[in-house]
Amino acid sequence: MIMRLLKNLRNRRVLIGPFILFGLALVAFSVLTLTQSTAKAQEALVSTNPNDIAAGAVLYSEHCQSCHGYQGEGGVVGGAPALVDKGAAAANFYLTTGRMPLNAANNEAIRHHAFFNPAQIRELDAYINALPQITGIGGSGPTIPSVEPLCANQGTLAAQSEKGCVTLSEGQQLFSINCAQCHQAAGSGNILSNGNVIPSLNNANITQVAEAPLVGPKPMPIFTELSHAQISAIAQYVIYLHHAPNPGGFAIGRIGPVAEGFVAILGGFCLLWFAARMIGNRG
Amino acid sequence: MSTTEERMSAQKRMRLARSGTDTVDERLGSSKFLTSVLDKIFPDHWSFMVGEIAMDSLIVLIITGIYLALFYVPSSKEVVYAPTSGHVYIPLVGQRMSEAYQSVINISFNVRFGLIMRQAHHWAALIFLAAVFFHMARIFFTGAFRKPREMNWIIGLLLWQIVALEGFTGYSLPDDLLSGTGLRVIYSIVESIPFVGTWLVYALWGGRFPGTSLIPRLFVVHEFLFPLLIIGLLTAHLMILWHQKHTDFPGPGKTETNIRGSRIWPQYALKAGGLMMLVAAVIFLLAGFVQINPVWIYGPYHPYTISAGAQPDWYLGWQDGAVRLWPHFEFRSFGHEIANPFFPGLLMPGILLNIMFAWPWIDKKIYKDYGPHNLLDRPRDKPFRTGVGVAAVVFFVVLTMASGSDILANNLHVSYEAIIVILDYLAVLGPLAGFVIAYKACQRLSQTDFHPIQRPVGGVIYRTPDGGYHTVGDVHHGPSHDVPADAGANGGHNGTASHAEGHVDETVPAPTAGD
Amino acid sequence: MTDTVDTPPTPFGRNPRHFGIDPSDAWPDDVPKDQDDTHWRYEGDPKGARKAERRIAAAWTVTMLASVGLAVVYVDGANNVLAGLCWGLAFGGLGIGMLLWARDLMPGHDVIASRGHHNVSSEADRVAVAESLGRGLDPMARRPFLFKMLGAVGGVFGIAIAFPIASLGPRPQRNLFKTAWGKGVRAVTLDGKPVRPSDLPYNGILTVFPETNVHDALAPTLLLNLGNLTNETPPERVGWNIPIDGKTGIIAVSKICTHAGCPASLYNVVTHQLVCPCHYSTFDVLQICKPIFGPAPRGLPQLPLAVDAEGYIVAQADYSSAGGGPVGPGFWNRG
Repeated sequence: MIMRLLKNLRNRRVLIGPFILFGLALVAFSVLTLTQSTAKAQEALVSTNPNDIAAGAVLYSEHCQSCHGYQGEGGVVGGAPALVDKGAAAANFYLTTGRMPLNAANNEAIRHHAFFNPAQIRELDAYINALPQITGIGGSGPTIPSVEPLCANQGTLAAQSEKGCVTLSEGQQLFSINCAQCHQAAGSGNILSNGNVIPSLNNANITQVAEAPLVGPKPMPIFTELSHAQISAIAQYVIYLHHAPNPGGFAIGRIGPVAEGFVAILGGFCLLWFAARMIGNRG
Repeated sequence: MSTTEERMSAQKRMRLARSGTDTVDERLGSSKFLTSVLDKIFPDHWSFMVGEIAMDSLIVLIITGIYLALFYVPSSKEVVYAPTSGHVYIPLVGQRMSEAYQSVINISFNVRFGLIMRQAHHWAALIFLAAVFFHMARIFFTGAFRKPREMNWIIGLLLWQIVALEGFTGYSLPDDLLSGTGLRVIYSIVESIPFVGTWLVYALWGGRFPGTSLIPRLFVVHEFLFPLLIIGLLTAHLMILWHQKHTDFPGPGKTETNIRGSRIWPQYALKAGGLMMLVAAVIFLLAGFVQINPVWIYGPYHPYTISAGAQPDWYLGWQDGAVRLWPHFEFRSFGHEIANPFFPGLLMPGILLNIMFAWPWIDKKIYKDYGPHNLLDRPRDKPFRTGVGVAAVVFFVVLTMASGSDILANNLHVSYEAIIVILDYLAVLGPLAGFVIAYKACQRLSQTDFHPIQRPVGGVIYRTPDGGYHTVGDVHHGPSHDVPADAGANGGHNGTASHAEGHVDETVPAPTAGD
Repeated sequence: MTDTVDTPPTPFGRNPRHFGIDPSDAWPDDVPKDQDDTHWRYEGDPKGARKAERRIAAAWTVTMLASVGLAVVYVDGANNVLAGLCWGLAFGGLGIGMLLWARDLMPGHDVIASRGHHNVSSEADRVAVAESLGRGLDPMARRPFLFKMLGAVGGVFGIAIAFPIASLGPRPQRNLFKTAWGKGVRAVTLDGKPVRPSDLPYNGILTVFPETNVHDALAPTLLLNLGNLTNETPPERVGWNIPIDGKTGIIAVSKICTHAGCPASLYNVVTHQLVCPCHYSTFDVLQICKPIFGPAPRGLPQLPLAVDAEGYIVAQADYSSAGGGPVGPGFWNRG
């Protein structure tokens, strides 16, 4: 029966219009759904163990020194910044998100798979963290933040008065005033001027989210005016978004009306068009 | 072959039917009218069903809309979200929000089947407008707006405008971040109208943006004013259609003074009912499986917050796209100014709409054709009109793409500046290219009578002054076609073989699904 | 009556009324006689008809099962996906059953009928309607004064009954030109805390509100720390920034885009541009937010800043035309 239907279709070629559009819809739909993924949380602390620092120094000289200078003084190639006062948070952020090392000095630092393994990153973090002491140059950057936990009574107003913990509600408000304008309300990312990419937050782990406002990975500004609790709340909310329930079904990327319009026309209307062609006279 | 038993039961049914129709007739004298209704003939070409899809979506919209209105609270009163029972959306607990937004969150999380009704309502709106656009395109390209149907063209355009505005007011009612952003843009566009702009926005919003008057007013407009207009105009639309009888494509045996189709009762009515059920099925499947407008993620609206990817629903994308593409021009002189959003937001759509309203008369002038028509044009036979239509479609598509310029740029990995500049050029050159290509293609197609995607399954019969007939476009009689090799084996399948020999053959079967 | 019942089904062709042909007209050439649309697809094929009946029954069984499913889903927490599946199957089964019934077992066939002359009335009818209308027009034409006065009455009364519209909103007064900022008004964050210049790091961005009215929708302002970058300060705006190390330091610009009023707050610190996500107007911060791309016709207005005795950031004054104000999108009498 299906073969007959297919033969009919081939012979008549009457349903080709809806099929093309429907095929397009399927492609668009799968692209939208497959580009979503989740990330795993990762424990990160700064080591002050001299062995780690020494191992970090070796890694640094192999992979970083050619641009950032002998001891992180920067400026060897192009705009490579000094690392002395950037702190472990910056090192950890750039290395775990794969933004560093760059293949070529003038590439844009965007998210990749991490080049180093977690142990190596730990050593490099330790080295960058120790740079102010090693070089004797003052000023220290932010250390890797520990994120405050979520309050126990999330669903009630009582949570707001709890101490030492943060609420998703606070996180949502801070996210919408500080982050959503670029990263989009659901953290799906977008584009900034000059072709600079605003990354999706769907792959970021909680430490990276907490580090980013402290580090200000360009083109993103720095948000150190936010308190530790506020940054924790934002980080907890972003992680919540990763596994936030989608009670309405497939989330189609949660990128808003553009995706919805595609699905409505190419999925919904197209099926009905197909139905109309089956029902009506095609002469 | 009727047995006595069958005759008896037929008599019984007849008596039953009579008792019903007679009861009505003795009061309304309706039998003649009802006969004409049941025997009404409708051509059932598939493309005529697109308007039906629109109407069926409207029915879904009305039913789901009534349900939602039972739970929605049209109020800008500020509340703190802290539900004490039922399901709670945790990231909003303790936040300031309008009562309207809170009620939409409650519909989504706390009303059983509330979410699916909300999603069905929104999906139905998107599909409704898709059907409206395709319906409108079909009318335009086949010349169905010509005399005597100009009035229905105008009513249709009004309906399009009102349903688009109805859609926008619906988009605005949840008072979430996207709603508020959309309203802020509309406020600015209305504010930019020369002379009366500020007066108008102060009257609509009851003062400076955002104010607290708008949500209840929008509710009245969305629930009462626009639905009333839509139902009124749609009734007129359908009554005129009914009275004038549907147009049809030219074909064997069809003339300007006859109509070919099947009677409404029972087959056509069942088909239309079945299509309506399928429309509902598709809408509810989407509503169940695909999440639309998750207002809880966008959060409540505050004038200082915004989300990237702030777009209107797709059917207003062309206007939003025009606002994005318009250069940074505005008129400033004599201590007054006509602000930038006025030109792309109101002036351009206004001019376009006026051209569309006037098109039936422009068309008459172009083709010097003032007579009435019941048979449709094939688009290829009117290259100029088709060219204009294709240009309009290209323009519309380019502007709609511009509305998603950021998402387009992000997915294509180019800067939005590049995309906007490209679309700026495309918005001007695209329609011109579309016109030229369509014009040339129509001229060629018109000469060869070859269908680009569809093998001809019938022909056009021309009646000569001496009473004879000849056929153009038929598989077996027309000029050489790209006919597949197995056409012989299938030739009779669609009834194309036998009907062109000098007479009209009434045995041409209507192709039905899957036969 | 019994006649028709005795010979069912009635061929369509026996009743000329249904062809839309006026009984007084001659039979038109383009309507064939003896048309018959009383046959159905499986007529005379009882086996096929039974099969068709089973297909329809199967489709409607799906509807019934889905309806039961719907009730179960409702009671069991109303999962949206399952509910959509049940609704969809219920409607879909119903619809497909109806379509199959129509196709396989219902009589119906294309026939040709006359369009009649529904759209155009006879000459006599047209004359009659014009005469009826004239019954009123002629007396009116004899009283041109009353006729003209009716127009004037309509105008005056029309204006009078439009007055309730004025209650919808206040007169647009100067408050489109003003915000809650003013001399010495502190800039506070969303949670009401005042801001010190040292709170804002280099390349930092912060949304602040006037302490006197944080809900003023035109007042949200961006504080930007440009550190030691230099920018082009017009002479009338000298001293509006809070300098750091003798360089630009902190400036404040309106967050409300001058194009359509969205918050223009996407800050690119590589190129020092502010972008509005509504229509992608782009502003160059180093030229004090001059528009460099997109539809925005004017720069983001600048707020003059100062530091008060306690070291908090305050405004020197409200937004003014010297700073590119008033805030927000343009309007007719903005000037």
